[in-house]
Amino acid sequence: MVAGMDATIEVRGVHKRYGPTTAVDDLSFTVRPGQVTGFVGPNGAGKSTTLRIILGLDAPDEGTALVGGRQYRTLRTPLRHVGALLDATAVHPGRRARDHLLWMAQSNGIPGGRVDEVLELVGLRPAARRRAGGLSLGMLQRLGIAAAMLGDAPMLLFDEPVNGLDPDGIRWIRGLLRSLAAEGRAVLVSSHLMSELEDTAHHVVVIGRGRLIADTSVRALVAAASKDQLQVRTPGRSEAMSLLANAGATVTAGDRETLTVSGMPAERVVALLGERGLPVMEVTRHRASLEEAYMELTRDALDYEAVAVEES
Amino acid sequence: MPTTTDPETDRRAEAGTHDRFGRLVLAEWTKLRTVPRWIMTLAAVVGLMALAALIDTSDQGGDVAEGEPLQEPGFTDNFHFVHQPLTGDGTIVAHVVSQEDSHEWAKAGLMVKARLEVGAPYAAVLVTPDHGVRMQWGFEHDVAGSENGAAPRWLRLTRSGDVVTGYESADARNWQQVGEVDLDDLPSTVEVGLFVASPDAVVIKRQYGSNFVNETPTRGEAVFDNVSVEADGSSPSPADGEWSDYDSADEPDFGGSSTESDGVFTVMGSGDIAEVRRPFGDDLVELSLSGAAVGMLAAAALGALFMTAEFKRGMIRTTFAASPGRGRVLAAKAIVLGGATFAAGLVASVIAFLVSEATLRHTSRDPGLPELSLANLTVLRAVVGTAVLIALVAVLSLAVATIVRHTALAIPLVVLPLLVPSLVEGGLPLSVENWLTRLTPAAGFAVQQTITRYDTAIAPLVGLGVLAAYVAVALAVATLLLRRRDA
Repeated sequence: MVAGMDATIEVRGVHKRYGPTTAVDDLSFTVRPGQVTGFVGPNGAGKSTTLRIILGLDAPDEGTALVGGRQYRTLRTPLRHVGALLDATAVHPGRRARDHLLWMAQSNGIPGGRVDEVLELVGLRPAARRRAGGLSLGMLQRLGIAAAMLGDAPMLLFDEPVNGLDPDGIRWIRGLLRSLAAEGRAVLVSSHLMSELEDTAHHVVVIGRGRLIADTSVRALVAAASKDQLQVRTPGRSEAMSLLANAGATVTAGDRETLTVSGMPAERVVALLGERGLPVMEVTRHRASLEEAYMELTRDALDYEAVAVEES
Repeated sequence: MPTTTDPETDRRAEAGTHDRFGRLVLAEWTKLRTVPRWIMTLAAVVGLMALAALIDTSDQGGDVAEGEPLQEPGFTDNFHFVHQPLTGDGTIVAHVVSQEDSHEWAKAGLMVKARLEVGAPYAAVLVTPDHGVRMQWGFEHDVAGSENGAAPRWLRLTRSGDVVTGYESADARNWQQVGEVDLDDLPSTVEVGLFVASPDAVVIKRQYGSNFVNETPTRGEAVFDNVSVEADGSSPSPADGEWSDYDSADEPDFGGSSTESDGVFTVMGSGDIAEVRRPFGDDLVELSLSGAAVGMLAAAALGALFMTAEFKRGMIRTTFAASPGRGRVLAAKAIVLGGATFAAGLVASVIAFLVSEATLRHTSRDPGLPELSLANLTVLRAVVGTAVLIALVAVLSLAVATIVRHTALAIPLVVLPLLVPSLVEGGLPLSVENWLTRLTPAAGFAVQQTITRYDTAIAPLVGLGVLAAYVAVALAVATLLLRRRDA
């Protein structure tokens, strides 16, 4: 990063209520430069509210949100500090794509040439003169990303950027997010699907019902969820299951010939099956998907939610 | 590596609040001009007003052709004058013995008049039945003397060069100056003498939708004695110059007359010497601009949409993320919207005025049709004022839309108070109606008046000021709410 330019986003003790509903409850986390931070939680978990608070749009009841050490509302050319995609459909349908970016650029003293640059960058150059009402959701999403890129800002926020993109577009945005982080920017990407962040995020902040559930690196999260699980492939699946279970392991059946075994070292599994003459075709250390890790993490929060729904 | 966050560039970009606000205005202008429907709404302001002018005045042309007399805005100069020439400086003194109470503003007194023709410069000191002693000149200037100075009263008028001074006295010994005026370029010989005038009496009956107006000429009468005219350098003497009668009453049956016997003058006359008050005449300029009531609807719609479009799609978040100063955003919007609607309103009202002038001239056979031009300041005030009116309505709508956040709520909230006074016209007593006009935003329409009528509620610029006050309050409330509410 440019010297002296603090590109850290900090949320400290933020609390936000809308009437009787608590949207964000004592939330604190930090988004560091140079990496993609995933911001994950089920719909209604408070992600969008938190992003609006960071951008000075909603005022928190308690706590503060700082971008580069300053309150967003004190920035004079905010688009040069923080680029944000909140809602890609928030464009007047009668306005041309280029004009939508033009007024934003003008409001922050960004030269008009930059508008064409970002249109090129997101692949919207051919649609620059089309009116927003005639653009597909995927194109609107690209327009919103172009808007976030306008100020070449060191901090970037994207709320559900994958929405409406085709598989090509999804691959493209993952690459874009990683390269933005590699340039030293702080990148915060929200999603309600952990799987979308697989291979993209370096760090995840997980929230549920407005509360922080996890703030951890992706590697640590996956490792914790994987624990000591083994994946075993054998044709004698049911026989192997009872054998290993009787020997004290926890066993769950996978599809057809696979078993997931925990609580037993790999050598002992192979030895036991060998003694019984069961062929072992494969033993691998199981790596949990980010999604599994997430499910495990949010199970409590979701249970709580289910109870709350029943009670009401 | 981000390049534009280079501290030097950033400092330049952040230099000066003036630049910052300029950028905001530019951005809002880009927003306005890039939505074709909004530009079409601006064009609709022009189209609707021109069309309304065409319809209203071709309608009016028929009435005019049927013989309704139309006069040029200006003055009436009708009275009976018993006069004689005075060369050089001098003084005229008379005692008004009595004055008939023919009208509260009946006039009896002394006058210096440059020439015996309608509209010639004059200055007069006079008594009235209900409004005391006055000194008047130039048709629009009126200075009050003593309030209880009805007849009998002594009056004196002196001419010294171009300066005419009026005095009054109860006893011809203690004189009080009433007023003094410098009449430019008085000829060396002027006409001085006694005059009497008495305006038309007006009775108005109102029933829903129509006014029954009765205008009856009145004849005033006053008795003068101790009349003396004295040219400077000669000794005071009873008036022995040749007295002549001049009468400029416009009602043939109500001409004036005078009799004199032993220095006692009895003078009768009717009419008025004043700014024209054609209390029932049509204000042709106002009529030509009547389309503003329709054009304003388009302006109000644009004003509301310019803001509600932001709320409807959450665009307001993009706007406030780009420019966190919410009061400034509203100010920039108001300036852009006000400027654009003023420009459209100005084009509209100039076209409307020219179209209706041409239409009137084409359809009317009235030889007395006034020559109205944009070079006339009163006309210009009405035409430019109409553009200001339309801009103010648009900005009012912007502010109200900011407060209520729904187009369908904002437009009626703005438009109904503007239309109500004209909708209930004739259905309420005149005084109630006038107060309604003074207190609602509809007061702004007063700026289109070019003559004073019997139903004139408020002065043109004061009316515009009332509307502007509504706009200011609405903008203040809107700013407060924008700052307090989450976006």
